[in-house]
This record gives sequence, C-alpha cells and structure tokens, in this order.
Amino acid sequence: MSVSAQDTPFSELYSAYAAGCLDPAFALLVETQAALRDDVRNSIKISEAIAGVQLESEAPADMQADAVARALAVIDEMETSAPQFQRAALEAASDGLSELLTLPEPLRENALEAAGEAGWSRISPGLQRLKLAVSEDMETELYRIDAGTSVPRHSHSGSELTLVVSGGFTDETGQFGPGDLSVKGPKDTHTPTADDDGPCLVLAVRDGGLRFTGLIGLLQRLTG
Amino acid sequence: MTRIADEQCRASFASLFEYFAPRVKSYMLQLGADASQAEDLAQEVMVTVWRKAGQYDPSKASVSTWIFRIARNRRIDAHRRSKRPDLEPDEPMLRPPDIEEPDTLVSRGQMEELVRRQLETLPPEQLELLRAAFYGGLSHSEIAKAFDLPLGTVKSRIRLAFNRLRGQLEDEA
Repeated sequence: MSVSAQDTPFSELYSAYAAGCLDPAFALLVETQAALRDDVRNSIKISEAIAGVQLESEAPADMQADAVARALAVIDEMETSAPQFQRAALEAASDGLSELLTLPEPLRENALEAAGEAGWSRISPGLQRLKLAVSEDMETELYRIDAGTSVPRHSHSGSELTLVVSGGFTDETGQFGPGDLSVKGPKDTHTPTADDDGPCLVLAVRDGGLRFTGLIGLLQRLTG
Repeated sequence: MTRIADEQCRASFASLFEYFAPRVKSYMLQLGADASQAEDLAQEVMVTVWRKAGQYDPSKASVSTWIFRIARNRRIDAHRRSKRPDLEPDEPMLRPPDIEEPDTLVSRGQMEELVRRQLETLPPEQLELLRAAFYGGLSHSEIAKAFDLPLGTVKSRIRLAFNRLRGQLEDEA
C-alpha cells in the first residue's frame, strides 16, 4: 500500500501535540510512535511546520529596552558555571541497561531516569514494569515481557493505550508489532502474550489503575 | 544559527533575538501570560536557543519551527491540556503503518519548504482553522464553537487542508 492523500494519517492529537496542549504522557506516546513510524513522523513534522510558520507571522510584541542585554547576561553567567556532572551520572545509571539505550528518544531519556531512581519492579514471572515520571494525571509505564511470556489476564479501571516499542505481542484482538497502538477501555479484559523471538517492550499510558483480575490481582491488592 | 553554535557569536544571537523574542512574547501573551510573564518566558526561550544552538539541524527544521518547539515546550498552560483526548473509533494512530516507498520520502527540510509554500495557497477559511488547531491548540469542538461552524465542517476543512499539505509533498517528491 502506498501513501495517498486518502490514507494520510491525520489525527486531532497531532494538532494538540504540535500546539503543546497534550498531556505529557500522551505527548511521549506520540513522540515514541513518531520515532518508530515514518508516516506518523511525517504527519508530526507537517503539524509542527504549520505551527512554526504561524510564529513567524506573529505580530511582534515589544520587549523591554534592555532585553538583549539581559539575555546575554544570563548567558555569560551560565557559561562560567557550566556543570558537567549530569553526563557522568547518566552513564553510571545506565550501566547494565543496554536494552534501554536502544530505545528511541525521548523515551530513552525518560526510561534511563526512571531506571536510575526507582528501577524495574517484577510483576510476575517474565513481566517487569518501570514507572516513568512523565505526567501528573496519567500513569506512564514501560513494560518488559520476556519472549513467549503471557501477561496475567487483566482489566483496566480507565482507558489504556499501549504502544509496542520493540518486539511484539498477540492478544484476543490481534497481533501488535513495533509502532502499533492498542486501546483498551474499562470493560476490556485481555491476556497479551509476547512473541517467541525476543522480549517485548511496550509503553502504556492510562488514566486509572490497572487491575489484575486473576490470582495475581488478588495478591496485588493485598500487597498494595 | 551556525555562528551562534560554532563561534558563540553574540552579535548573531542579538539579531536572532531582535526578530524572535518579540514574536515569542506575542505567542505567550496569546496563551494567557501577562506582560511580565510573557517577557520572562521569551527571555528563557531565547537563552535556551543559545544553549541548544548546537543541536539545531537545518536539514530537519526551519529556525522558526525549531524555536516554536522550544517556546511550546516552555509554555505553562496546565489547565488547557486535554487530559483525556478523545480517540475516535477510526483513530489513525491505531492503524497499522502505511508502508512508504523510500524514494518518495522527502527530507524534513524540504518538507518544511513545501508546507510553507502550500500554506500560502490555502483559502483563508482553511488557514484560520489550521492556525487555531495547530498553533492555538484548540480541539475540533472548541474550534466549532469559536467559529460558529458545525463540527463536521471543522473536521472536514482541517482534514482537507492537512491532506493538501501532505498531498503536495507526494506530488513533488
């Protein structure tokens, strides 16, 4: 299938993203999908170009008379005290996290930061979770599912968007590969199984806690 | 931009500042900042431009789009964020990827130029809706209210304009 005007991926979310009024969790999802897919990336680029042109045509608002001097003073101060420790800290934190280093930006930066702080937690055999501090209103998590592993059957209290970052999984609704996005509502229950040929990494964004419905769910409720 | 990144040229920065700072301030004012907040935000955006100048890649974006992105990321506008964006059943983000022929892909730099040219040919009623959506950040239903248009008309006009920008890319690629 080739791209024609008719199947141009267009989404209201792209304009919200370009204008900067998408929740940061959704913005991360859009950016990650754009990193994985040319068609989404092009749509985002067009969206941002539309906005960039508007900035040029903006009627200038007068700045204070000493505005340039103020900016240059801030720059001078910044240049004399440039801290270099961040890079080293990041490298130390990323030790042994080579899998995270292959993630597309900006997800990589978020994941490395999270791995350096709270780190991965084990949910069930073959299933790990890394909570990302992205949004105040949305839970944003990276899941790592070992090859061939099934995630315990679960439902969702809110709606959940799941973007496959690498590898793939299959559930009752179909097969999902890198760049594919799955949506589950409060009533959906599913049992995703990672493909056999390698671990599957997914980025999940949701607006309510994920509830596991089986035995693990009970354990989870008991142990908080 | 190159001279700012490579030579830390303050004169080049000053002229970039003279052009963009007042426009960034105007953008911030429209987003609801008061005059002194808008002034400070424009300052911060321009200092970030200096700091990140080395990351600017002219083959990927025009200077104005790049600066817009910095300004957008700086905007503090939590209450207008749509916390729960509506996903329609035919949401394109949920579709499998379109497969593109590698030789039909234009570079992002070319893309900007084409979008720019094509924007100039759009009828004003399409352009103002694009501006409201992609720059102002209004949702389709907010635009319908603001422009007193049926929601369906807003959706179809924006989609038409977007497809035109996109369609043109393929013609010229």
